[in-house]
Amino acid sequence: MLTGFGTRLHFPAGKFLLVPALLCLFPLTTPLSAAISCELNFPASDVARLFPGSTGFKTIYFSFAGHGGPPLLRRVEARLGGVPALYAPLEVPYVLYEVYKGTKKIGYVHGVNQKGQFGVLEVFVSLDLEGRIKAFYLQRIAGKWANKFTASKFGAPFVGLTLRDFDQFNLLTGKGRGRVAAMVNPAPEAATDFFGLLRAVNKNLVLMDAFFFAPDPVAP
Amino acid sequence: MISRHQIAFKNLLRKKARTFLTLVGIVLSSWVLVSLLGFNRGYEAALNRDIDNLGYQIMVMAKGCPYEAATMMLQGGAGLRYIEEDVAKGIESRPEVAGVTPILMQAFFDPNKGDGGGIAGYYGVDMQTFPAMKPFLRFRKGGWPQGSEAAEAVMGFEAAELEQREVGDSILVPEKNVELKVVGILERTGTQDDGTIFVPLKTLQQVAGLDKITTIGIKVKKDADIAKLEAALYQLPDMQVVSFSQVKQTIMKLIATARVMVLSIAVIALLIAMVGVVNTVLMSVMERRHEIGILKTMGAMPGDIFRLVWTETLLLCAGGGVVGIGLALAFARLSDLLVRRVLPYAPGGELVAIDLKLCALTLLIIVAVGLLSGVYPAWKAGRVRPLDAIRGGL
Repeated sequence: MLTGFGTRLHFPAGKFLLVPALLCLFPLTTPLSAAISCELNFPASDVARLFPGSTGFKTIYFSFAGHGGPPLLRRVEARLGGVPALYAPLEVPYVLYEVYKGTKKIGYVHGVNQKGQFGVLEVFVSLDLEGRIKAFYLQRIAGKWANKFTASKFGAPFVGLTLRDFDQFNLLTGKGRGRVAAMVNPAPEAATDFFGLLRAVNKNLVLMDAFFFAPDPVAP
Repeated sequence: MISRHQIAFKNLLRKKARTFLTLVGIVLSSWVLVSLLGFNRGYEAALNRDIDNLGYQIMVMAKGCPYEAATMMLQGGAGLRYIEEDVAKGIESRPEVAGVTPILMQAFFDPNKGDGGGIAGYYGVDMQTFPAMKPFLRFRKGGWPQGSEAAEAVMGFEAAELEQREVGDSILVPEKNVELKVVGILERTGTQDDGTIFVPLKTLQQVAGLDKITTIGIKVKKDADIAKLEAALYQLPDMQVVSFSQVKQTIMKLIATARVMVLSIAVIALLIAMVGVVNTVLMSVMERRHEIGILKTMGAMPGDIFRLVWTETLLLCAGGGVVGIGLALAFARLSDLLVRRVLPYAPGGELVAIDLKLCALTLLIIVAVGLLSGVYPAWKAGRVRPLDAIRGGL
């Protein structure tokens, strides 16, 4: 109990309110942070699970404000079809987990946020050094159909996909061919979330391509 | 004709390094002084603002019930304890009370929030009383729900940003799978409200399947005896009372010790700088005895010499003071950040509040103390005997 803290800390009489006071007021100035785009909740265990065989990882941050600025942002948005736009993209740093086996880099884990039907979709993929998806992880989704999308059965077809696979599929019209077009929506009533997830994976791969695999000339 | 100020300025430039170092001392001490005075003023104002932004001065809840979002999130729904709505009506009838607002905090387990699930918190607020207690809340878009049982929600700025919600979108209350329409998104407040999802009280009660509340926010009438009201509230069985005036007093007491220590350091810095001024001007007077002697033989009176030397002190202190205050203004935000890092609790908003009045006051202090420290060297210079000085004797 909160008052218990105050008692245990042996503040002088009349000062028992100190700890509750600080606990009470502290959140007033520390609103829930949305400063970073999409982070793993438990990076140590999540990276190890998403990248079997890895021994460590390094967290790095990148943003359009730091690399490429508005011109690169416009190009990336054009690659994403213009709609839906990236969410607060310019200043918000994206988080990338560089995955290592010993001292050798073996891949990446990267997540993006995407608007879903009842809330944000937090979508992570692990990638090898060629940009091929090794694992799909949906950290957050709201809705009674959520478990259909978090099931491994839904994530399995993403393994092995690359950005080229998305070139054959129009994410705005939902039409196309290839492996992405063959994916099945496990919850037909949740079309917003299904296409949101596809767009999130595409966004993930486009960002990785623009910043790391085939850096745009304006980006370092 | 060359003025006294020009002569004094030229004298200071004769020993540039010495003058520069003395000036640095004054600059630093005035920088520290104005920043600390600004902190003294800004901290209390910021704390008052934070407490005022709560909209109520006292909260009452069941004993042991967490009353802030952080603990609720940690404990989930398990730590919540409920009180009857009638308690709020009883409190409202007291003469010291301007208004009460019943609040229901509810935490629902969301199994799809990361691995192992997470907690989603909701605030059920009374649409009749809560908005009136928080008139400073501004909407980025939309407004409060219309109707006390509407399946609608208002999201704080951060909550909406995190969930990527806009007005017209829906959210789903986990566990209960109840859909709520987002009808308003608040402007950023820098408070806990930014991360809060507000739902009409009755709606949340229906969702949670109970008819009780967790908290009562109490707004006290101006000039009312808060202590008397608190004493009466403490008599309520199984209730805990959180008074923000007590919270404020406790924090201010905690900070007061630090303020005294820091102000002492500022005073010491000021004294050291002034000793530097005395040393510089006195050295200058000693070196110019011969010259002062000639001035006196030419008709300069002791008062003229006194004023000349005093002017040098004035120029040093005023120059250093202005530069120091300028630096304090320029780096106010940096000072703010540093102060925030060392304080146990720092309210939102501007912590180091420096305005023109404070700048003028600091400059006045620096110049006054400087002139005081310049009295002895100036007096010493005024007493120089012309013939002795010209001969080089004592």
